[in-house]
Amino acid sequence: MYQLNFSFVGKYLPMMVSGVKLSLVIIVGSMLIGIVLGTVFALFRQSKSRLLQAAASIWVNVLRNTPFLVQLFFFYYGLPLLGIDTSPVATSIIALGINTSAVNCEIIRAGLLAVKTDYYECAKALGFNRFQTVRLIVLPIALRVAFKPLTSNFVNLALTSSTAFSITCMEIMGVAKTISSNTSRPFEVYILIILLYCIFTYTISFAAKLIDRRIAIKL
Amino acid sequence: MNFYQYSQLTFNDVFQFLNAGWVTLSLTLLSIFLGTVLGTALGLIRCSKNRVVSALPLLLIEPLRNSPLVAQLFLIYFGLPTIGLIMLDAFSAAVLAISLNTAAFFAVLVHNSVISIPQTQWEAGYALGHGRLSVFCHIILQQSLRLLIPQAITLYITQLQCTSLVSLISLIDLTKLGQNLSNRTLQPFLIWGIVFVIYFALSYPFSRLSKYLEKRFAFDY
Repeated sequence: MYQLNFSFVGKYLPMMVSGVKLSLVIIVGSMLIGIVLGTVFALFRQSKSRLLQAAASIWVNVLRNTPFLVQLFFFYYGLPLLGIDTSPVATSIIALGINTSAVNCEIIRAGLLAVKTDYYECAKALGFNRFQTVRLIVLPIALRVAFKPLTSNFVNLALTSSTAFSITCMEIMGVAKTISSNTSRPFEVYILIILLYCIFTYTISFAAKLIDRRIAIKL
Repeated sequence: MNFYQYSQLTFNDVFQFLNAGWVTLSLTLLSIFLGTVLGTALGLIRCSKNRVVSALPLLLIEPLRNSPLVAQLFLIYFGLPTIGLIMLDAFSAAVLAISLNTAAFFAVLVHNSVISIPQTQWEAGYALGHGRLSVFCHIILQQSLRLLIPQAITLYITQLQCTSLVSLISLIDLTKLGQNLSNRTLQPFLIWGIVFVIYFALSYPFSRLSKYLEKRFAFDY
């Protein structure tokens, strides 16, 4: 009978902590990029210009219909040819941010659609110009509506970020791979990683629920 | 034949793409089929009235939904043999991992689409003298399928893209082939462009179909 042995945890703890830190950096960094790009493209999709609409639509459809791993390799092998020499960490943050911006765009667009035309008319009556209307009235409401789906996308993003190890990032999954080949105890290592991710995603969803209760608004 | 010639893309590579595409496609079809069957079973158990029974599938569903597929794949491919359980080849390990993952997500879809049918529909059925099973088969099932089908197609597209992860356990699917060829030809933009187009062509029609069905099936009470 096989004996489970988790004694490697003590020895490799500093390595795992650094892996978790790097994972968090990647996740948070790419979410920030994702939200900014997502908002921009959501506004493009709602704009009156056909060109901007088409650009946003192509952006979303291409990114949503191709695997993240392929996008990651595209950036990892492609960027250096364009003369942009980035580290694996930066590459994975950029790739993840761009990938997640497509889903964020759809979510924020749904939020924008939830803002009724009355609000636009009110803003016009109060003398706001278009930019002010969007910045001060429409976006705050839309982002509040979009908060919950955005957090569930954040969880998805956290899970997807584990693929960053394939371009030699030493985030938690990369660390796990190293540990499992050093100790030849892959079963325990990956069980531990799955547990870690579960704890992380549960914490995020719990926090998101609390925050969502505070900022939820009725339209 | 010098190195330069060898590194060029040739007609023979078309067959490599066909092979790799077949690996991706068969893997996807097999695992979404198995995942759908298992997921439907789990989802229906989730709908049970008995609290304990309905909570049981969560033991399987929750860890699968809240951890990365890569970790699950590695656990099955590298982990299971070391604890003396079955040793799977790369393809079977991939099918097992992806179908379990699909099943977890599908179970949640099934559960959600059944419980989002208003309670009044059940009560109306009971009032007409139908039993629980009969109400489910004749009244609830059709309505929940309208909700389920568009979401299921979206899930299938996601899983198609998740199959790219099997390139990490040395299975030569489209992604792995792309990696090999881009290393050989040193033309990453061309190669990854082709791979992009193939994946896009495989999944875009279905994502349009899903959107269309969602609009078509929309209904209000």
